[in-house]
Amino acid sequence: MKFVLKSISKNSGRLGQLRIKESNELATPLLMQTTKGGSIPYLTADTFEMVSNEQQLLQLTLSTMDQMAESLAQWNRPLSEYVGLPGHNTMLLLRDPCEATPAGGNDRDVVPLFTRRGKESLTATQYMDMVAKFAPDVYQGLCDADTNPESTKKRVQKSVDRTERFMDECYALHAKEQRLANSTLLAPIVGGYNTFARTQSIKHARAQPATSYGGYILEGFHTNGLAATALQATQLLPIVEHCLQQLEDDKPRLMPGAFTPLLTLELIRRGVDVFDTSYAYCAAVNYKALTFNYTKGAEQQTAFLDLTDEAIKEQFTPMLNGCSCLACRKHTRAYIHHLYKTHELLGPILLMIHNLHHYLGFFAVIRSSIADDELSQLIDLLRLQTAGVNMDYRIEANSKVVSKAGLGKGFIAAAAV
Amino acid sequence: IPPLTYKVVAECSVSKARAGLMTLRHSEVRTPVFMPVGTQGTLKGVLPDQLIELDCQILLGNTYHLGLRPGIETLQLAGGLHNFMGWSRAILTDSGGFQMVSLLQLAEIDERGVNFRSPFDNSECMLTPEHSMQIQNAIGADIMMQLDDVVKTTTTGPRVEEAMERTIRWVDRCLSAHARNDDQSLFPIVQGGLEVPLRERCVSALMERQVRGFAVGGLSGGESKHDFWRMVDVCTNHLPKEKPRYLMGVGFAADLVVCVALGIDMFDCVFPTRTARFGCALVDSGQLNLKQQRYKHDTQPIDENCECNTCKRYTRSYLHHIATNESVSCSLLSIHNVAYQLRLMRSMREAIQRDQFPQFVRDFMARHFVGKPIPTWIREALTAVNIDLPEDAVQHAKESEMRTEKSR
Ligand SMILES: [Zn+2]
Ligand SMILES: [Zn+2]
Repeated sequence: MKFVLKSISKNSGRLGQLRIKESNELATPLLMQTTKGGSIPYLTADTFEMVSNEQQLLQLTLSTMDQMAESLAQWNRPLSEYVGLPGHNTMLLLRDPCEATPAGGNDRDVVPLFTRRGKESLTATQYMDMVAKFAPDVYQGLCDADTNPESTKKRVQKSVDRTERFMDECYALHAKEQRLANSTLLAPIVGGYNTFARTQSIKHARAQPATSYGGYILEGFHTNGLAATALQATQLLPIVEHCLQQLEDDKPRLMPGAFTPLLTLELIRRGVDVFDTSYAYCAAVNYKALTFNYTKGAEQQTAFLDLTDEAIKEQFTPMLNGCSCLACRKHTRAYIHHLYKTHELLGPILLMIHNLHHYLGFFAVIRSSIADDELSQLIDLLRLQTAGVNMDYRIEANSKVVSKAGLGKGFIAAAAV
Repeated sequence: IPPLTYKVVAECSVSKARAGLMTLRHSEVRTPVFMPVGTQGTLKGVLPDQLIELDCQILLGNTYHLGLRPGIETLQLAGGLHNFMGWSRAILTDSGGFQMVSLLQLAEIDERGVNFRSPFDNSECMLTPEHSMQIQNAIGADIMMQLDDVVKTTTTGPRVEEAMERTIRWVDRCLSAHARNDDQSLFPIVQGGLEVPLRERCVSALMERQVRGFAVGGLSGGESKHDFWRMVDVCTNHLPKEKPRYLMGVGFAADLVVCVALGIDMFDCVFPTRTARFGCALVDSGQLNLKQQRYKHDTQPIDENCECNTCKRYTRSYLHHIATNESVSCSLLSIHNVAYQLRLMRSMREAIQRDQFPQFVRDFMARHFVGKPIPTWIREALTAVNIDLPEDAVQHAKESEMRTEKSR
């Protein structure tokens, strides 16, 4: 993996090119495609191609794919081909950013892996063995990232110390493992919200030879799932800034997790390069279509359209007016509301199509805003969509239960005695 | 322009099989045809565009479900189900009666209609033939079904005759309540249980009505296969040749092949999409349960001759791991299974057009029952339409293999 920084300016973000395989370049700030079990959630490969024909970086996670390790050990073609998305680049992470990672299970020598089947424990050697079976283009080093804004100092310190020990092994094994000869290792930076701990973690990475890893993955700010959408900017940004200042410019910085669009922009402004689509996913599974506006001069918008809302039962308009995605071109709010009520699989499929389309468009605008030195205008646009009111981009779990009142009265009326 | 025209394009010179072209308001339908079931205005996890790519020409919707959700007011406001679900091709709806009787335990039938308790507020309700028409008119499907008196296929005695007679009375009520006869075609349903004389009487009574096609109902509900094929055979012997015939609820591959030979044109079944949810993929030799360990490291596609997007991209090994775990597996297997059904129908149609249908049937049965004996009922049904299967399926499979070897 090669990373070339194209432009960098204080307080307006970095533009770069990430070249993972020979033939293609990915522009940063980059949106990785979050996957589950190797697939874009809910979308078949051909459906995803209706959303985007561009080369993607697939964010694969061990917690949703570990059961495939044995089969992948026998698979000698690229990992992307195995998951039905040939030609795309692959990055293997440990945890699924879409779901809350349970606390606990960390030990001196093992990191917990929470899978569909429950908890498993991985030593560094076991972890590297698994990774070698996957042979991804890029993967993260093993770390204890079980920290969030509430973590105690003791928990934070443990996460740093253990990560150091895991990484010493990872660096050594990475150099030896034949199947990882063409894979790039990312150094994890942990340490919760503690500046000393973060510095210690960074120092450990930077003490390695520069060629032993190809980028940084900033972990331990949240424990995945919807919690990431509720992080406070005032809390998160200073500590991220503290980290970024100590990292060299020519390595890409990744931050997995469902950060809100606004927080994502603030992180980009400070120099984070790579994000993922877990926010778009979390919105979709909670029946929220992303509708925030990232185009100058367009009409005012809300952060979401709630497809569970009875009020849209008879709105035969697209989820987002003017949106060119397949879902908005061909289907209405009323129909998707119906799919919600009937628990039909097509509901989340259409929402994913729209949300991914919307979020990919958002990232394209981010890159052009940085190029035009207009990132702060974009931030203002997202912050104040509805005149004077700060937008709330948090995602809350949809706990609505479809009631019998949602049933069509017309049918009953037609059939009433 | 009539809302339905049907033309026989080719007839098998041996059996009763025929290939036809049915022209509906929303699309042309080449028969014999399989209609995937989109119960609630969507086919489980498959986009309308994907169905069109599979060359699906007609979908089935369920009146009972659609009447509850989204309900007729919403459907009317949307301008019908086609608009509501974004499906531009043809749709067929059932009457709602069968679903009601099978889903609601308290449903009872009398001369007025089907009595049931509202799942809305538990009040007593009645679905009459007129109401069924009202709802189906709001849905706006190209083909709609009369409300029929449904009895269990295993019922015997006077109740069967009563149901048959009532079905005939109800078709007249349906026809006079049908408000959109210029857009939508109402099919009556042949009832009569497992009794030949009742089936014959029902067919001849229904043929006196002004209708554009016929459905054969009351089968595929647990009766013996022996009775099943005989009832189909009796119906197609008497139904007019120039109108399409729809056999309700049939969709297993072998049944489809036999019933096409008996002269049926249209089929529907939830099986291909239901079995997909359990990780099963349809192939000529039956189905692969991809959850089985034997597929864990199998890097072949489900079927290397299948041209669906699932077989183009995904291995059995990958599908083994995601089946029943990731919801995308449901879409992937539904796509393959619907592709399988549609391809089977297409190859039957082509064989009929080349007048090689009997050979197609022999080859299919050899592949389908490879290493197993062909059930007697299939042999008998096919003999009834002059298609004889070779004595030993295993032997025949070898012969068929040699034939393909030679032709290469
Ligand atoms: Zn859209
Ligand atoms: Zn296939």
